[in-house]
Order: sequence, then structure tokens, then C-alpha cells
Amino acid sequence: MSYSHRGECSISGIGATDFSRKSGRSVVALASEAATRAIADAGLERSDIDGLVRSDYDAVQHNDLAYALGMDNISYWGATGVGGAAPCGMVAQAVAAIVSGQATNVLVYRALNGRSGLRFGRGTAMQQAAGAPRLGGGGSYDEYFLPYGLLAPGQMFALIAQRHMYEFGTTSDDLGRIAVAVRQRANSNPAAMMYERPMTMDDYRQSRVISSPLRLFDYCLESDGACAVVVTSTERARDAPKAPAVIRAVAQSGSPDVQGGKTFPALMRPTITTYPSKYAADRLYARAGLGPADIDVAQIYDCFTITVLLELEDYGFCAKGEGGPFASSGALDPGGSLPINTAGGNLSEAYIHGMNHVLEGVRQIRGESVNQVAGASTCLVTSGIPPMTSALILAEQ
Amino acid sequence: MADQVPRPLPMTEDEDTSGYWQAASEGRLVVQECLSCHAVLHLPKPFCHHCESWDVGWREVSGDGTVFSWTVVEHQVHAAFPVPYTIVLVELVDAPGARLIGHLDGAPELTVGQPLRVRFVEPEPGVTVPTWELVS
Ligand SMILES: [Zn+2]
Repeated sequence: MSYSHRGECSISGIGATDFSRKSGRSVVALASEAATRAIADAGLERSDIDGLVRSDYDAVQHNDLAYALGMDNISYWGATGVGGAAPCGMVAQAVAAIVSGQATNVLVYRALNGRSGLRFGRGTAMQQAAGAPRLGGGGSYDEYFLPYGLLAPGQMFALIAQRHMYEFGTTSDDLGRIAVAVRQRANSNPAAMMYERPMTMDDYRQSRVISSPLRLFDYCLESDGACAVVVTSTERARDAPKAPAVIRAVAQSGSPDVQGGKTFPALMRPTITTYPSKYAADRLYARAGLGPADIDVAQIYDCFTITVLLELEDYGFCAKGEGGPFASSGALDPGGSLPINTAGGNLSEAYIHGMNHVLEGVRQIRGESVNQVAGASTCLVTSGIPPMTSALILAEQ
Repeated sequence: MADQVPRPLPMTEDEDTSGYWQAASEGRLVVQECLSCHAVLHLPKPFCHHCESWDVGWREVSGDGTVFSWTVVEHQVHAAFPVPYTIVLVELVDAPGARLIGHLDGAPELTVGQPLRVRFVEPEPGVTVPTWELVS
């Protein structure tokens, strides 16, 4: 017996808050606003929602949101991660719940005060452990990293970028082309934090080094905000006000050389230039019956520019090691062969840990993106690396 | 001048990693290995997935390493680590594939493959931390 979820479920509603550096609101308030907007967009009532899925890093538990919105009908909930690896996997959990009959309308959300509250860029372990006499242990393996000043994700991705440069000749300008291409998208998105704030390659080259070889503009924007979607069966989604964004396929994937802990142990894998995204890609394309050549537009998880470059290779848009020349060919620029991060991504829209990528994927399929790709009928959405990852493909009916 | 904020000290009493810190306190650098099939298990863990053994121990290595990658940190994240400083990803010469992290002051010229040598420092009585320095 074989099972397939291909096309069985759709995203029928999306909702987001404003993105800012200081929301001045609780994370529950942010989640509630994004959720109510997504529910309204789907043409549903709060009482229609019977499932909730969150990220393991989200401060808002399923019961917190159910309480905040008075949702009395919840019969399924779940969470996945780690952190930014979650959003596509969260949608995958919703699909699994619906296809297996455990839920009907699942709300998937991510909310954070990522700038005014706990800042990932400053090293979560160091902030959370402030005052603790010793750091690490308990399976975190932080004791192998923090005492040496490896504190923040950007420092780890800098080690990865340096190694990619050594192995393949990738250049800082290659990374800059990614930053500029994504920024151009944000410049025409009124919801983006970098709306009407242009950046040139010269601006990129002159930006200060944060952790070499990565510069300020290789980093995403720490932000406050929330995003949510409603997942339901494609059959029910046809009754919603907007056209369904059909979930062609979802995939979560580890890899043969997985490491434990949260982030830094990925540096112990035999290669640090290929990621579980390569394995997620294989699973996803097989489940979708599609390949990279069938993708019209992509929302690629971009905590850093180097992350995009690694994923372009792992998802098969170019050969391993060719991500730099691919970016510098102009393929990612407006009008290029692979439009990416059309709302501005984590780099220039907001860092909602990749949940904003899912929303923009839906807009592209609906034909309502501010940077609409003409005739887009498929959109790849990816979530974060390195520990384990997830991805999905959205399609027209 | 304000006192230097002390660097964070490692948890040395975790069930799975304490052997590493115990060895360091004796001036030895070790990696975990399976005592049945002798596979290196790095980072340390209690079960060998190669041969399904729970019999794991520690293999002493020479303390010679090479630069696998590095980054010069120029934006300060924490007061205990004034910038600039360099984080080095060190590959162990006699346990290929096993890597550790090193910290170098400033921004020395580095290349992949450059040799490094372990040194043991005691930031506080009872806590020994393996660190790495360039072989000149
Ligand atoms: Zn074994």
C-alpha cells in the first residue's frame, strides 16, 4: 500500500503583522494578530480551527494561542524545529494531520520579538545562561564551542563561507550579488523593513565586516513580527475566498552525517558545504514529481547570503560549488532565470525565521505578490539549515 | 581600565562529555571512540551506531591539528570576547574528520591546512581548557 499527500492539501489563508525593530507588544499579541488575519483570509471563523502547529523556538505555546483567541475546538497540535528549520516542516505536520483525519483546518504560526527581545545574533545560549557558572552540557555540546568565543550563528556561517571559498573559489562579490538581488525585491515591498532602502554592490563592498568573510549585508534582519497560514484540504480550500495555493509536496529531511545539539555541531560533519537540504530536495522532488527545472520562483531560506548559496546548490539549481558563479551570472536578479525571495526574504523583508517565505510563496501562486513573477505556477519554499531541514512546493490548482 | 569580563567556562560534568574535560585536566587531548569497533564518535555520545555497542571510551590523540576554516570576528557579541579575535575550526591530524574549535587573539594570517598545536590553559583552578596555537 502506498500513501501520497501530493496535492491533497492547500494553504487557504495567510496573515502577518507589521515587521519592526520594536513591536512594543507581547509575542502572544503578535501571534494572535497574524492568526486572526490568516483565518479571515481563509474565509473561516476561529471556531473552524481545530489544529495548531508552532516552531519549537516559539514563545507562544499552542494552548497560549488557543486561550488568546478563545479557540475551543482544538483537537490536534504539534511543533517542529530546530528554529528556522521549522516552517515548511510545520506545514508538513498540518498536512499529515489533515490527510490522516486528525484535523480539518490547521493554523500554522511563527511569532517573535526577535529584535527587541531575545536576539539570535547575539548568541541565545550566552543570553539565556547569563550568570550561570558553566555553559553547555545536557546534550547541547555548547561546552565545545562557547568558551572559544563561537557564540553566534553568523560566526558559524562565516566559517562555512570561508571553507566554501577555499573549496570552490567562491568570492565575497558572489555573496554580494545575492544580498543585492534580494534587497531589490524588498525595495518594492511596502511591508518589508528595507522598503525603499536601496543597496548597490558598492554599498555591499563597503559595508563593515562582522565576522570575516561575512559583512553586515550578508546578515538577515533581526525583527519583531508574526506570520501565520491556514492549511486545509484542497477540496475545502476551493470554497475559500482566494484561490488555493496547492501544497504539491512537503518534505523534512536529515542526512547521513547528522549531528546533535542546535547549531554549532554541524561544523563537525564530514562536509560543511553540503547540507540536509540536498536530501530534502531529493525527497521533495520525488514526492512532487517535479525537478528544479520545473520551479518558476523560489523562496530560499536566507538567514545569511551563504545559506542561499548552499541551498541553490543543494536544491539542484546549479552544481555543487557553482553557487557563486550562478549568483554572479544574474540568474537571481529581477528578470533572471530564478526569481528568489520576492518579498525580500529574511535578508531584507523581515526575519520571521522563514515563515514569511511560506506566505510569499502563497502570494506568488495567487498572483498577488508585489513582485509577481508572470505566469508563476510553482514555487519552492525552503526552511533553515544546518541541523535537519524542511521544504515544500506550492502549485496552482 | 575596567576588569576584563571573564570568558565563559565549560560545563565539565556532563555525563557524555566529562571524560574530555577530565583528560584535559591531566594534559591529554582525547576523542571518544567505540571500544568494540574503534570508530571515532565525535562529538561524544553513549552509543556506537556503527556496531551497536554501548562500550565507549576515550582515545588519546597527539594534539596536532590543522586549520580547516577560520573567521576573524570584528563585531563584538559579548564583553568576554573583545574584538578582533579569530575562531579556528581545527581538524585533528590523527583523528581525521574530528574537529575542535580554537581561539586566537587578533587576526593572524591563516591558510587552510596550516599546522596548529594544542595547549592546555587553566582559567580557574579545577577547569582546564584545551586551546590551539599556531606552530611557528
Ligand atoms: Zn562501534
